[in-house]
Amino acid sequence: MPDYLETTVDKFIFRVATDRLYTAEGAWALADGDRVRVGMTDFLQQLNGDVAFAEVKPEGTAVATGDEVATIETIKANVEVPSPVGGTVVEANPALAMSPEAINQDPYGEGWLAVLEASDWPKDRDTLLDPGAYFELMKGQAEEEAQKL
Amino acid sequence: MSPEERKVLVVPCSGIGKTYGTVSREAAYEVTEDLRPGSTGLVALSLLVLGDEEARAAVQAHPAVTIDGCKLACAAKMVQESGGHVAQGIAVLDVYRRNRELKPQGIAELNQGGQQLAHAVAEEIAAVVDDLVSCEEAPDHA
Amino acid sequence: MPELPGWKVGIVACSGEELAEGTVTRLAALWVLEHLRPGETVTICLPLFLAGGEGDRAFARFYPTIAVDGCDRRCAARATEQYSGKPAASVVVNDLVSEHGLGRPEGARRLNESGRQAVVVTADRVAGLVDELLGGHWNRRRGSFAEGAPAAPPEAAIQAACACASAIPIQEVDVAGRPVSLAALPLIFEQFHAAGKAPGPEVTRELLDIVRIYNDVPAGTDEAYTAALAREYAAFCRPKGARP
Repeated sequence: MPDYLETTVDKFIFRVATDRLYTAEGAWALADGDRVRVGMTDFLQQLNGDVAFAEVKPEGTAVATGDEVATIETIKANVEVPSPVGGTVVEANPALAMSPEAINQDPYGEGWLAVLEASDWPKDRDTLLDPGAYFELMKGQAEEEAQKL
Repeated sequence: MSPEERKVLVVPCSGIGKTYGTVSREAAYEVTEDLRPGSTGLVALSLLVLGDEEARAAVQAHPAVTIDGCKLACAAKMVQESGGHVAQGIAVLDVYRRNRELKPQGIAELNQGGQQLAHAVAEEIAAVVDDLVSCEEAPDHA
Repeated sequence: MPELPGWKVGIVACSGEELAEGTVTRLAALWVLEHLRPGETVTICLPLFLAGGEGDRAFARFYPTIAVDGCDRRCAARATEQYSGKPAASVVVNDLVSEHGLGRPEGARRLNESGRQAVVVTADRVAGLVDELLGGHWNRRRGSFAEGAPAAPPEAAIQAACACASAIPIQEVDVAGRPVSLAALPLIFEQFHAAGKAPGPEVTRELLDIVRIYNDVPAGTDEAYTAALAREYAAFCRPKGARP
């Protein structure tokens, strides 16, 4: 279980796992050698609401850094999740077909989206945000959203 | 068992933060007022939260169908914590997944998709109610 | 004392389905949230107090809340007090209907004209209460306004240590094996750290004194809270956000 950085805006609590890296758009990447597991952040899943459907690129799909690796559909929005890493999808989370709510309930654990065999992880890694940097960015984004309400 | 005793209670979450909460509320009204008025009753979740004795006694005496707008499942949890039995827990999101074209919007007032989704939820509950009531009727015909 | 972020007011509506007045509370709360006082209010989902909405519970424990009930059973007011904190104000639709000489609201599913009028007067009353609460000084520990206290400082003077300008951050810590949510803890840590206070027994005692102001520390648990704060503050002071 990772540790979390945590912040509260109004009645909403947002967490950032400290064991992985992030994109500014709200995707995370957790590497194990050249295999990188990717998913959505807690802030992104809360922002978009309850996931009704999740479609992840199937095994064998080549995905460039920043290309869509999954589409999440809620009643609020259809969210295209850009991949934090370039490579080939080696596993799409099979649980999401029947239980896409896993993305809402456990965005850093059971709600993972896909595992990619990275084509150049060191290069992609250097473009990503560490937990502290993403946390600060996310706080600002969360505050902006709260002001819109 | 008398017709009065053969009653299924409907407990909506009425969540105020999401459109699904309003769908749950509207579906509960449709079942108890339009579809199955003779065999259902509505219990306000706020009374269960407060521990109201009459509400608790009702859920302990009759099977309940709960309607929840999100996975926190407040209605199902509160019925259980009040000593009741959740005969069927309906998740509005699951019904939406089976009726993808019925996209709900609005909390104070539902859009057409939300009204139609509420109707779909209500129809599913009506079928559950029929099953529950017929199961309770069976011993009378033995 | 930490400089705390600006305030919002939580509205807890009973939303009771059995009576038209319950529907009035729901629509009035939403009208205030969406139209009358957007950006200054938050709706709290009553059942979440029990079903595990930690954000809702923390919010209602720290910010002033207005309970909006349909009838004298006052489910929202009583449940909020029971499970979170005493509401700063309480409105009962039946009372407002009498006060304004309105007809009886009917139609829990589709309000009649009297019901719609009740929504308007209830929303207006709640909006007025929001203005009062945001202009006053709410003492969380006493659950009342502090007498003679100045009004909340103007926005320009608030220097929140947290980038979130509208909320009290909370942090869950392990206290003797039990998870406990402590309001304002991240802010308290930030201010201690900024003041150059290194982890140690004396600093931990000071931390506990400040934590007590914003949280209930049950009698007989000082030792457990002290150990937890010492551990958490030491972790806070270690360099954080290192690249995994």
